[in-house]
Amino acid sequence: MGNWERLVWNQRDVFIAGFAVTLEVCLIAFAAAIVGGLVLCLTRLYVRPLRPLAVLLIEFFRDTPIFVQLMWVAYVWPELFGFPKSFFAAGWLALALQSSGYLAETFRAGIEGVPRGQREAAFSAGMSPAQTFARIVMPQVALASAPSIVNQFTVIVKSSTLISVITVPDLMSESQRLVNVWYEPIEILTATAAIYILFVFLISLSGKLLADHLRRRYGLAAT
Amino acid sequence: MQALHQAFDLSLFWDYRAILLNGFGVNVLVFLGAAALALLLGLGAALLRVNKFPPLRWLGTIHVELFRNAPDYIMLVWVHFVLPLLIALALRRRVEFDPFFSAVLALGLVYSGYFAETFRAGIEAIPRGNIDAGRAFGMSERLILWRITLPQVVRRMLPEALNQFISLFKATTIVSLIAVPDLMYDVSMVTQQEMRPLPLYTGAALVYFLVIFILATGVRAFSERWRRKILA
Repeated sequence: MGNWERLVWNQRDVFIAGFAVTLEVCLIAFAAAIVGGLVLCLTRLYVRPLRPLAVLLIEFFRDTPIFVQLMWVAYVWPELFGFPKSFFAAGWLALALQSSGYLAETFRAGIEGVPRGQREAAFSAGMSPAQTFARIVMPQVALASAPSIVNQFTVIVKSSTLISVITVPDLMSESQRLVNVWYEPIEILTATAAIYILFVFLISLSGKLLADHLRRRYGLAAT
Repeated sequence: MQALHQAFDLSLFWDYRAILLNGFGVNVLVFLGAAALALLLGLGAALLRVNKFPPLRWLGTIHVELFRNAPDYIMLVWVHFVLPLLIALALRRRVEFDPFFSAVLALGLVYSGYFAETFRAGIEAIPRGNIDAGRAFGMSERLILWRITLPQVVRRMLPEALNQFISLFKATTIVSLIAVPDLMYDVSMVTQQEMRPLPLYTGAALVYFLVIFILATGVRAFSERWRRKILA
């Protein structure tokens, strides 16, 4: 047990600092992915001329492995587009791009799941298309896709371990640094794995509870 | 503008096609090994989870929650750097894993968690009466599993399982991080030599995108038909 104390408990500041960076990157990526997913989805559904572009982007973000996308954004984009300027930004941007593709499809399923009659009813009650979207469609989409959105956050956290490769000092990268200092991987890496598994478990558990709650409260189908 | 031209000038990518194709073959091999392992362990864990005996059921649940919630990369690193040390401590001799072996084992374990849930959903969807009918005919539990349960499970879970195979294939791109010589590994090696990341990473992204896009589109079309025809 002495090893655990020396290598894990006494290094808790390093673990905490790493976890804070992981959390920060994931939250920024999550927020950006929701906005990006919404933009992609609305473009695909309602902006006719840009539709093929939106479809292509959604498919590209969904079908390219996250590690490949990360390397591409981190090493090719700065020369191609002049940004992202830091590896931190490249990290959250790549995570956000991937999830925005998935969320765009989640939102689309939600929007298409709203019965046509409701929209027509809103129009005949004199609501503008924008009002109809904001008051009738969007609240239902948000409810129906809430559990999938939470699940997407677990995907972001899992994928975020890869940003250690581009030297962002997240939990994964800090724990590997500790391994290189102490040459004792057993305790350090096991503790790191446990932290990640517990964190992801808690997020997916809350997603499950949220889904159950919504189902009971609003009678929504399971997703 | 010059950067844009360079990024999509894939001739450098083409020059190294033999090495890169070889790397892509390694991706496919890792995928095949991990897929076989994940199916086998996933089926085992699913059978544990529907077992009558509670401790075995808990074991199945622990397996699923542990591996489904673990990030691929930390599992990969843990299996490659920690597991051999633990085995060495137990056996009192030096043990080292070949990177390829670690990659197959780690990805197989992680995806067995996902497959177990797919199998379980399939098993639980089978009407209880089918199994009772099998028993009434005097079939043994094993015979019921092979003749009644599994054929229906496979039919029901196929679309979901194909999606998971695609996710697994995408996950094989991270094995370069423990020096398995896959496509991404070759790309990073050539990049270091040529000092030109643009065309190589763009090429790799395009290759993976095209392959996975074609597979995913095929799976989607197939699942649609399958759901309509077989599961209707």
